[in-house]
Amino acid sequence: MTVFKGYMKILKKNIGLVIMYLIIFFSVALALQAAAGKEGSDSYQSKSVEIGIVDEDGGTLAQGLEDYLGKIHHITMLENDREVLQENLFYRNVEYIVQISENFVQSCILDSERLKVTKVPGSYTSYYVDQQINSYLSMARTYLAAGLSQEEAVDAIAAEKHSEVQTLAGTSENVTKPGYLYYFRYLPYLFLGVFCYVMGYILMAFRQGDIQRRMEASAVSVRRQSIEGLLAMGVMGLVLWGVGIAGAGIMYGKAFWKSQTLGYYILNSLIMMAVALSLSYLVGMFVKNSNMLSGLANVISLGMCFLCGVFVPMNVMDKKVLKVSQFLPVYWYEQVNELLSEYTTLTDKAKEQIHMAMGIEVLFVVVFVCLTLTVVKYKRQK
Amino acid sequence: MSQNIVHIENLVKRYGDLVALNHLNLDIKEGEVFGLLGPNGSGKTTAINCMLSLLKYDKGTIEIFGEPMSPDNYQVKKQIGIVLQNVAVFEELTVQENIDYFCGLYISEKKKRKQLVEEAIQFVGLEDYRKMRPKKLSGGLLRRLNIACGIAHKPRLIILDEPTVAVDPQSRNKILEGIQELNRQGSTIIYTSHYMEEVEQICTRIAIMDHGRTIASGTKEELKQMIKTGETITIESVLLDEKNLREIQALNHVFDVHYESQILTVRCTGAKHNLIRILNYLQSQELAFGRVFSELPTLNDVFLEITGKQLRD
Repeated sequence: MTVFKGYMKILKKNIGLVIMYLIIFFSVALALQAAAGKEGSDSYQSKSVEIGIVDEDGGTLAQGLEDYLGKIHHITMLENDREVLQENLFYRNVEYIVQISENFVQSCILDSERLKVTKVPGSYTSYYVDQQINSYLSMARTYLAAGLSQEEAVDAIAAEKHSEVQTLAGTSENVTKPGYLYYFRYLPYLFLGVFCYVMGYILMAFRQGDIQRRMEASAVSVRRQSIEGLLAMGVMGLVLWGVGIAGAGIMYGKAFWKSQTLGYYILNSLIMMAVALSLSYLVGMFVKNSNMLSGLANVISLGMCFLCGVFVPMNVMDKKVLKVSQFLPVYWYEQVNELLSEYTTLTDKAKEQIHMAMGIEVLFVVVFVCLTLTVVKYKRQK
Repeated sequence: MSQNIVHIENLVKRYGDLVALNHLNLDIKEGEVFGLLGPNGSGKTTAINCMLSLLKYDKGTIEIFGEPMSPDNYQVKKQIGIVLQNVAVFEELTVQENIDYFCGLYISEKKKRKQLVEEAIQFVGLEDYRKMRPKKLSGGLLRRLNIACGIAHKPRLIILDEPTVAVDPQSRNKILEGIQELNRQGSTIIYTSHYMEEVEQICTRIAIMDHGRTIASGTKEELKQMIKTGETITIESVLLDEKNLREIQALNHVFDVHYESQILTVRCTGAKHNLIRILNYLQSQELAFGRVFSELPTLNDVFLEITGKQLRD
């Protein structure tokens, strides 16, 4: 087992790098966990938004809308001056401006015309305000149609309870996302980062000078050398994967170990480990010096993680980017993670989707291994 | 008569249109220190690579220890040690770890290997550097480590491909003494080098290769007898004109006259009294001269005369 031990000894010399990656990984995982803990995953609270209101109507229902929104949000009354409005939005004094025009009741309630609003572009909270305004207008419309006066309608709306959002746990798509989802989402970065560096260093070491010639001329067959090398890689991969799983177990405790989808998380991360290992071996074949290795390792690990929803959740990523990332294995890993996070008990359809994504990951492993073998053969012939 | 440890017959190796080995024949006997000489591109390293089955060849046979050599003949490979031209050690491992690793490719038994590694460290004099990494070693120490990695398993046949390139005289001397010691301990040595004096010092038999084939082989003395030069006479501080040079050239047994910066170099065939004949001529012409040297041919003369003085790649 000389070659195996050789791999391990060289790995040992690079253990500092592995530890550094583990520290970064667990620090980020802890930070994510802390952030998730603050937000809370089993409760819901509406957010207060800075709203500016221009009231040119001044009627009862217009005042009612101001009071209705004022119960949740912070209201600032503004004058109808284009510059003033733009300035307030620009400096983020307000995120949302409601312009109540004259004849508000007739136009917006009875004729169902749209209320004029201006929002900070890309602000997700504005959707929430939209909903509340629509809700108010809808209720007002209903009460007026039912024959209530404007004052009575305003009182009735005020008496309505604000809708209570209940978070549901179960088999539906409304399931809360488990904390370890973030941990597993981030796991490919650990695998890709560590393996790209470590495999690169090991393979570079074995290619230094005439070491390859010396080994080929030795009494250990090339086949055996390859097997021992693969074994060393396998052990290395399993140890890192084990550390990853143990880390999840320690950090998330019972929630993780008792998860009904635990098996899938473990299997998916195991396949991801194989993907990272085979890809890093392939990349390692082309590395000529440590500068090149550093560049390649960063491009591959960070690039793939950014493109495939490791650092940024897939649901906020551009669809075009996601189309491209379908050609990368981490995308399919994250797909499985997303599916697992949506269910506590998997439906048959979900299982089918998960199996397909895992199958694609395995195909990537096969492709990387075949490419590696081709490169090895080409280099030998050369 | 000792048996052939290496037998190469009609070996042909082509790289496309280039013929690297052209019907090479070579026999190396057990216990020899066999020098393989040749200009750059003459086929020495290709021949060694074929011997070690690192290269496939087009034609011919290679037998080592009486067995046909093939990539999977590990019984034969087990008895061969190689010291390559480029230092082939792991920068990440210490001196001791490196020797242990390469010895481990031949010896699996841990206890025996430990002893062999220790012996190899002592043999090359790296006792004080065993925990150091190769990066911290000087060029000479690095070469000694390279040798230790190749010989730690005590092979019967050791192939050394220019092991003293870029090494200071002290380290070179240590390496050459070591090679002779290995030979005394029973190993057969194949040694390639561009340093003629090294080959002359340690090799018992020499083959000169050029254009992929052996063009001369034998002991040093046999090789020296093969060439025209029997004696080179050098006379300093002598003033000669064209007529003098023509007359010296016309003397018996003189075949080459060179005159530059008042130094006369005359190459003669291996006849007697060459020096007296030339000095008599100078006296007869009343020509004054300074110091006089007479040298027998060196291996360098043999090499240059056989392979020519043209520059090679």
